[in-house]
Amino acid sequence: MITVTNLSKTFLDPDNCRVDTLNGVTFHLSKGEVVGVIGPSGAGKSILLRCMAGLEHPTGEEIKVTPGMRIGMVFQHLNLFSHLTVLENVTLAPIKLLGMGRQEAEELAMSMLRRVGMSEHARRMPSTLSGGQQQRAAIARTLAMKPDVLLMDEPTSSLDPTMVDEVQGVVSSLAQEGMTMVIVTHEMRFANAVCNRIFFMHEGCVLEEGAPEQIFENPRMPQTRAFVQRIRCLEFNISSGDFDFYDMRSQIKQFCIRCSIAEKMGEVTHVVDEMFALISDFRNPIHIEVNHSDLKQETTVTVLQYGAEVSALDNPDADELAVMIIRGMSKSSKTEHTPEGVKTIFEI
Amino acid sequence: MTTTIKEQNGELVAFFEGSLDTAASLQTEKDIQPLLTADKNILLNCEKLEYISSSGLRIFLQILKAAKPRGLHVFVTGMNKDILKVFSLTGFNNLLEFRD
Ligand SMILES: Nc1ncnc2c1ncn2[C@@H]1O[C@H](COP(=O)(O)OP(=O)(O)OP(=O)(O)O)[C@@H](O)[C@H]1O
Ligand SMILES: [Mg+2]
Repeated sequence: MITVTNLSKTFLDPDNCRVDTLNGVTFHLSKGEVVGVIGPSGAGKSILLRCMAGLEHPTGEEIKVTPGMRIGMVFQHLNLFSHLTVLENVTLAPIKLLGMGRQEAEELAMSMLRRVGMSEHARRMPSTLSGGQQQRAAIARTLAMKPDVLLMDEPTSSLDPTMVDEVQGVVSSLAQEGMTMVIVTHEMRFANAVCNRIFFMHEGCVLEEGAPEQIFENPRMPQTRAFVQRIRCLEFNISSGDFDFYDMRSQIKQFCIRCSIAEKMGEVTHVVDEMFALISDFRNPIHIEVNHSDLKQETTVTVLQYGAEVSALDNPDADELAVMIIRGMSKSSKTEHTPEGVKTIFEI
Repeated sequence: MTTTIKEQNGELVAFFEGSLDTAASLQTEKDIQPLLTADKNILLNCEKLEYISSSGLRIFLQILKAAKPRGLHVFVTGMNKDILKVFSLTGFNNLLEFRD
């Protein structure tokens, strides 16, 4: 459907210096494939999609597209026309660009809105809809152009966490219907569930590509491994009671949202907070790690007490209430003795 | 974390707002002192309490222990799911009187 050969894109910055944003990207996209594009900020993910959509002109070689094929794009930020109803937003392009009659365009629009579960809101103005509903309407609008390929740039990253599911649900049902898609996303669990191919982008190149299992569990390239692991691991070093506990809590919250495990946020916070209360003496430093494996759906909290021999949890004088909360909030716990100290590992 | 105590309908009502975690518990312990010498029933309003830790529970326990010998009731209301889970894990749901 689309063949990209040695695609490059260079910008000139205000001082006329070259900024290479894409550097020889080559791949072939076949019908029915769902590609997830992941990678650090600035890797060139958005530029790649914009080049494929024809919104940017590549500097290097061409992108070959099967003749007559239509490419649709959904952006991260909500981009409905605010002075038009949902239905008018969806019918606009079919009428103006495809030259459809109003009646025909409205029938088409309603069937697209039905596809994303938005038909009952057809007459509403965008500002009266939730973020998730607006994004679903934006998807319907793109679908109304009958695209052969749908490109999505972080379709859920500007949404409140409670609305991510409804939009991801729509995207996965499109995937099941056989829609060919390229999706830039930071949601690893979603990418793993919906995509059959993952591209890891790094400094303007597709550094590694493969099946989700390979990229997430057995990445070959060290950069891929570092990226995938960074997303899955949150670390803190605590060496005094003055440690900024509020900042840690907000980081735990962000981490859980990033890993799509917002429902575990409470458990993780309680276990860390109560371990803190049990240790209370920070003359010996503490290292805390929160880890999440997307594929195994396993979340662990590891507390390393440097120089200690007994875990704060097993201390006979340990506060009973704190221990009850920790036990109740974790599925299991075990201790490991290492040369550095004692590690308590909780499964959440 | 803020704690406000008001007299309402013949009761002392404590409004908790924020996160009653280990770091906040020292201040909250000072704030609830008036409840320990109360001569009226007490209502702990948790509608705006987001989180409670074991040190927060200990403050609730302190209030309860002070009220018991004086024959006063301590009611709680407005807990979120997370706080209810902490109550049930620690047996606090059997100690406190719930009010809708
Ligand atoms: N119009 C432009 N002129 C110059 N440089 C640009 C322009 N647009 C993008 N860039 C640069 O190209 C690089 C890649 O940008 P791109 O938006 O594709 O990143 P990304 O992978 O989508 O990152 P993110 O995850 O933050 O969205 C960045 O370094 C960016 O600064
Ligand atoms: Mg981007």
